[in-house]
Amino acid sequence: MGLGKKMADFIDARLGIRDILEQNLTKYLLPRNINAWYTLGAVLLTLFTVQIATGILLLIYYNPNTDEAFRSVQRIMNEVPFGWLIRTIHAVGSNIIVLALLLHMLSVLFMGSYKRPRELTWVAGFLLLLLSLGMCLTGYLLPWSQLSFWATTVATNSSQELPMIGDAAVRFLRGGAMVGQPTLGRFFALHVMGFPLLFGMLVLFHLFCVRRVGISRPPFGHDWQAPPPSTTFRHEEHPGGIPFFPHYVAKDAAIIAFFLALLLGVVFFAPGLFFPPAAFEPADPFVTPPGIKPEWYFLWAYQTLKLLPSEFLGLAVQGVAVTLLLLLPFLDRSPERRPSRRPLFVSAYVLGVALFVALSVWGHYS
Amino acid sequence: MKLILRFLPILAVWPLLFLLSAPAPAQVPETVCIQCHGAQSGRLGEPVRLWKGSIHAANGISCHGCHGGDPADMAMAMSPERGFLGKPAEEAIPGFCGRCHVGVKEDYLTSAHGRALGRGGPQCVTCHGSHAVRMATPDLINNRDCTRCHDYGRANEIKSAVSETDRRITELEQSLAAMHRIGIATREMSGELFALRNRFHRLFHSVDVEKVRSRTAAFQSELGTIRGRVDAIEEELKRRKLWGGAVVALLVIWGILAWLLHRSYMDDKKAG
Repeated sequence: MGLGKKMADFIDARLGIRDILEQNLTKYLLPRNINAWYTLGAVLLTLFTVQIATGILLLIYYNPNTDEAFRSVQRIMNEVPFGWLIRTIHAVGSNIIVLALLLHMLSVLFMGSYKRPRELTWVAGFLLLLLSLGMCLTGYLLPWSQLSFWATTVATNSSQELPMIGDAAVRFLRGGAMVGQPTLGRFFALHVMGFPLLFGMLVLFHLFCVRRVGISRPPFGHDWQAPPPSTTFRHEEHPGGIPFFPHYVAKDAAIIAFFLALLLGVVFFAPGLFFPPAAFEPADPFVTPPGIKPEWYFLWAYQTLKLLPSEFLGLAVQGVAVTLLLLLPFLDRSPERRPSRRPLFVSAYVLGVALFVALSVWGHYS
Repeated sequence: MKLILRFLPILAVWPLLFLLSAPAPAQVPETVCIQCHGAQSGRLGEPVRLWKGSIHAANGISCHGCHGGDPADMAMAMSPERGFLGKPAEEAIPGFCGRCHVGVKEDYLTSAHGRALGRGGPQCVTCHGSHAVRMATPDLINNRDCTRCHDYGRANEIKSAVSETDRRITELEQSLAAMHRIGIATREMSGELFALRNRFHRLFHSVDVEKVRSRTAAFQSELGTIRGRVDAIEEELKRRKLWGGAVVALLVIWGILAWLLHRSYMDDKKAG
């Protein structure tokens, strides 16, 4: 008997690891008709792991000081061995993550998987989306480029329209009247420590909810039926389903590989896809670059603010939209999940997505 | 239909990603000069329309950059107290443009063109235009424009002498701009090329074909040095793409194999 097996037996005899693995891998059964959309959670976990790894490596050389930040990023891109690769993966990765998050959210919405008993899973997931956008926003400032400086100036300026507390909110976000060293310091702290800590805890809670409640069965096929209403906890079982390992892990691995191929395809063949030229000029508070726009996933909000007669109204509309989505499982309480039986919801879904796309495209070209 | 419905989310988001990653058109901040003149028709509004397509507009040089005045104060926009200069007299044009284009002004004033200033000789706007200011390229030396004043033969000789060097400068500018767009540190090389381009372009203005020919070799040699550095970086970028292509291909193969493995597990499950 080899040393490895002896050690495994020693640990197993005391902690029952083999049983845990068996219960969560080979004996953990998923619905037979589970589709590829369900792999997006695993894809996101992988992409976030890549972000954490590349982020830690960037921390070795990055200097969060307004005099040094841009130069340190230039050094990472041009002098540090493979620094360009690490930084480009991190920067492009954030865009791919937002794309995967949106797809994950849209698929959960479409299949009605947010409904009872998965309300808490949805709320945790939606908060994870908001936190991810927060990490994108705070990370945007760190290179201290013209784009960073002016995009953050515009983004923080919006808070000025909040009634009563507008000016105080702007000063709180920036740490002063203008975007400067205090802003960089607090955005840096939030980006590398504050948000990731919260994010980690929420991810654990989200995964706990997914595992505890059980995977929802896709609402397709003639034999699909809404589960009977229950006031007590019930884990959704899938007798005769497919084992998580190796059956579904293989599918997870395939989609993860395609997403990583997409990420690296952009990194190697179109690294400037998400970055305008102002992203490579050092921040200059005295020169406003022409045509500064937020990232593609914030364009809908940017255009809403431009279209409505006051910024306060724009912020209020955005706040209502986000709150409605967050609380959706508590508002949409019908157990029906089949899209073909939810024409009102599907119409609102299509219109909502079309509005998001139209506002974003309009915002980009306006 | 069911398939379309299932893939609705991805259909919605993909086009958005590609639409939004296209570069947005550059915008120049609107000054009171543009607000007022841009809203007018005819002679007073024409300069704004012409300027919009100019090299000045492309580089963010607005009305007040040349004409002075206060671009933020409607009432004082055209006040001499705020440095408003208005339209210069023909003889004053080289001095007007030469406040920024110092070297070009020097070479121009000592040239045959400059010596004829005020006596029917051309000045800056004769070739470059006013408001619709055109970038200095060898295309400005052409039969139609030059023969307004003299025979094209000598002008054509100068054009032939500068064209090859100018083409190499333009190529290098494009290469550096492309590298800058992906985060390569090009500031030093761009600065060197900008200075070289300016020195070379002021040479045009001497309209002295012998002088252009005798100095072209020195410019070509300097260009060769910058080209060597750019070529080395481009070679490195090609190598990165080669490795990147291999990694992406491996990931796609991994994805396909994992998908096939999943299918085979599912087939076994159905059979069992």
